Amino acid sequence: MTAAFSARVDAALASPTLKLAIDRTTGTARSKRAAAMAAWPEFNIARDLGRDIKDHVIENLEHYLVTFEKNAIASGAKVHWAETGAQACAIVVDICRKANAKSVTRAKSMLGEEIGLPHALEEAGIERVETDLAEHIIQLAGDPPSHIVWPALHKTREQVAELFRTHHRDPGALASVEAMVGSARRQLREKFMAADVGISGANFLVADTGAVCTVTNEGNAELTTTPPRVHIVTAGIEKLVPSTAHAMAMLRLLVRSATGAELTQYTTFHCGPKQAGDLDGPEEFHIVLVDAGRTRMLAEGLADMLRCIRCGACLNHCVVYRQIGGHAYGATYPGPMGAVLTPSLSGLEAAQDLPRACTLNGQCQEVCPVAIPLPTLLRGWREKAWQQGFEPATVRWAVALWRFLILRPALYAAASAIGLRLMPLFSRNGWISRLPLAGGWTAHRDMPSPTGGTFLAQYKRRMKK
Amino acid sequence: MNERAKLETKASPHVALFATCLVNAMRPSIGFAAVQLLEQAGCRVDVPMGQTCCGQPALNSGDQEGTRQIARRNIKMLEPFDHVVVPSGSCAATIKVHYPELFAHDPAWLKRAQNLAARTHELLSYLTDIRGWAPEGVHLEKTATYHDSCSGLRELGVKKQPRKLLAGVENLTMRPLAGEETCCGFGGTFCVKYPAISNAIVDEKAAAVEATGADLLLGGDLGCLLNMAGKLHRRGAKVQVYHAAEVLAGMGDEPAIGGDA
Amino acid sequence: MSSARAKILQAIRAASPATSSGKGPIGAQAAALSARAAATRPERVSGPVDAAFLTRLQDPGIGATTERVATLQDFPDAVRRYLAAQGLAAAVAVQPHPELLALDWSGVETHHHIATDEGAAVGLALGGIAETGSLVFHSSAASPTLFAFLPLHHVVAVRAETLWPWLEDYATALATLPQPRNVNLVTGASGTTDIEGTLVRGAHGPGWLHIVLIGSTNAT
Ligand code: SF4
Repeated sequence: MTAAFSARVDAALASPTLKLAIDRTTGTARSKRAAAMAAWPEFNIARDLGRDIKDHVIENLEHYLVTFEKNAIASGAKVHWAETGAQACAIVVDICRKANAKSVTRAKSMLGEEIGLPHALEEAGIERVETDLAEHIIQLAGDPPSHIVWPALHKTREQVAELFRTHHRDPGALASVEAMVGSARRQLREKFMAADVGISGANFLVADTGAVCTVTNEGNAELTTTPPRVHIVTAGIEKLVPSTAHAMAMLRLLVRSATGAELTQYTTFHCGPKQAGDLDGPEEFHIVLVDAGRTRMLAEGLADMLRCIRCGACLNHCVVYRQIGGHAYGATYPGPMGAVLTPSLSGLEAAQDLPRACTLNGQCQEVCPVAIPLPTLLRGWREKAWQQGFEPATVRWAVALWRFLILRPALYAAASAIGLRLMPLFSRNGWISRLPLAGGWTAHRDMPSPTGGTFLAQYKRRMKK
Repeated sequence: MNERAKLETKASPHVALFATCLVNAMRPSIGFAAVQLLEQAGCRVDVPMGQTCCGQPALNSGDQEGTRQIARRNIKMLEPFDHVVVPSGSCAATIKVHYPELFAHDPAWLKRAQNLAARTHELLSYLTDIRGWAPEGVHLEKTATYHDSCSGLRELGVKKQPRKLLAGVENLTMRPLAGEETCCGFGGTFCVKYPAISNAIVDEKAAAVEATGADLLLGGDLGCLLNMAGKLHRRGAKVQVYHAAEVLAGMGDEPAIGGDA
Repeated sequence: MSSARAKILQAIRAASPATSSGKGPIGAQAAALSARAAATRPERVSGPVDAAFLTRLQDPGIGATTERVATLQDFPDAVRRYLAAQGLAAAVAVQPHPELLALDWSGVETHHHIATDEGAAVGLALGGIAETGSLVFHSSAASPTLFAFLPLHHVVAVRAETLWPWLEDYATALATLPQPRNVNLVTGASGTTDIEGTLVRGAHGPGWLHIVLIGSTNAT
């Protein structure tokens, strides 16, 4: 385990509130998803369809990107391309500067977080107002997001109340979650209307219309993208679907998997700038298509991962995520999907713990609405880490020694016999609570003391009788 | 009738018990229980003396070449048998699911790996699905709860079989376990590489087990059972832990894992 | 940045295994995928579409209230009743739709712009979707987007004959209509679960959504 990961895990496990906060939100999310799935026996075939739609798009990515671009331009949008996150940020900042933007509202977008857009806007001296309630909370707290659907999931209601009390103009009593939401509503209302530029992400890019689909439950995306003069969309190049009808099939999967609802409260298709006669809407509509490692994933054999629709179900069902939370992953994307993405996005050596810190229990794959074989992809990273020599020398030696023995049954039997004869020396009443070389085990749990030699030896003796 | 179906309905198939390294070292009674159950189910059982381990620690560490060496050895050793039966979902899945993956680019070995995969079974599902066996005259006046180990559940579809078998044990009352399909935090090498995370997971599992109030915790995979038993004992819980095969073989009143029966 | 475009497309070409060849034209593949959607839909919308729509809206997760009146002429009365029942002032922002403007709003103060802190607005949806209980708005001079997002109370009329059974039926219809700047599918009142997963209404959009169904599917 690298020191950095170890320190983050220790900090997470030591937090007195983190586990409580994680359990409150992911517990609700799991039970709501379970209820939605119980009412949808078609899930399995819907998931196959979702997988096939995304695979079809990835197989024909160039075709769909070019089609989308053509239709978006026809609707009046300006389309930009960025190979890297830094390029994408530079494009966005440049558009803001040209629009003389003083204030920018932003509707939650994981891609924006991935490419460091919040930071880039701040560097450029542009006021950034996060409008998603959770993003608003973590902006006030100065935290990175800890979940891809509920970025402020690590905050308890008490901590949110404290933040609002300190930062809001008119917080009121904040005695309930309702009161906290009301305070945020009052706080952000004028900001929506005063912004010069609104920035959003995209849940889907619809190739045949050139439209950008966003989903929210709060209504903040439309309030972010309608009043300002300029609307900028940043979207990963994998976000395409062939048509609105395909988007609908994907939405059924996405929303149920994320929140257990059947459709988000607000599902919007943004297509171009304000049209003749429109009473509201932006005058300029920009779409920044971002690669930032996606084509590399395609080349690295991670095409399966490009299906991901960022529903967060794999996080909510991950036993590791539910203990250590999002920040311990040290990256934008946590949980199983993050453990697959991060080594590709920021390098395997630094992120080597993420694919390893997994029990390979497979529940993530079971709930994934686009059937991504997450455990298989995590194994793939482990193989690369092994080949590239990132496993610590102690582990490599231990595996080599063990392999040497198990390929030689006689030696193995002798070694086992010695081990089994030594172990009872450490036991009391049949249990061992401290054992040399097994500290990882006995620090937290006891080990039953073996009795009577190995099964093979005992069986051989019995057969001889 | 094709070759495979013939084998499966054979009155007395020649079965190799692949006991697994953990059962061999830590809980021989599971091996004896498995032999007994297989014989009751009409199998001719052999325990190949050259067996060691399925190779999971290497596989899960990403050491593919090392795993292939182990797999080749096991394939050769297990080829003479009609069936190979394993009292562990994760070790059975290693042979059944992952051996063929390892030889994707080696047609000759791929064929042998697939052949072995088709003949390899997890013990509890083998007894019900292939042998149609059910316990007779086994009594145990206890309450028990069951944890579904992940590999067996998700890679091999072992879910109903152990419950069906245990329902045939007279006087045994089963209690539902909240989160029965949630991983216990064992994860093979995971539990020693990331002990603090593993501990947090198994602590939650142990609490759920205790909350059932059951006398016994049963399961089908010794790695997980050792993990949970060790945590339950550290927490001072009185729950006793057995492999389901032990209970089915009528060993449910012999010393539990850890011995303090 | 057109060089970025060329490089990205080049990288895609370089990375993609020879995949789609042999699977037929891309359009036909996409159509075949669409055709599979019907089998994945939750078995729900059977019988009259208006009944399915209203039933769907009973789901507490959606957070809307409903009623049915015979004709659009009855809508202002429904609005008056709603305002009174909620204890609201008799003042509303009326979406500048010619059919709404032509109604008799006597007894209610009406205006046609939407304020940042609008108390109540009334609107006419382009249609609705029975599967999900959604209202459909297409932005236009008669249907500004913000009318559905700024008010605290939103009272919306939707005609039974404009209900589509499934999401895909609406998608098919959209392809034949002029593409608006914004398509808004509104499914209940605004909500958030961002604080500890607790559902609270009125996060940024309306806290209350009242849907007045006009007429019925069978009666014509
Ligand atoms: S990997 Fe699957 S489950 Fe996880 S966020 Fe992506 S789509 Fe959802």
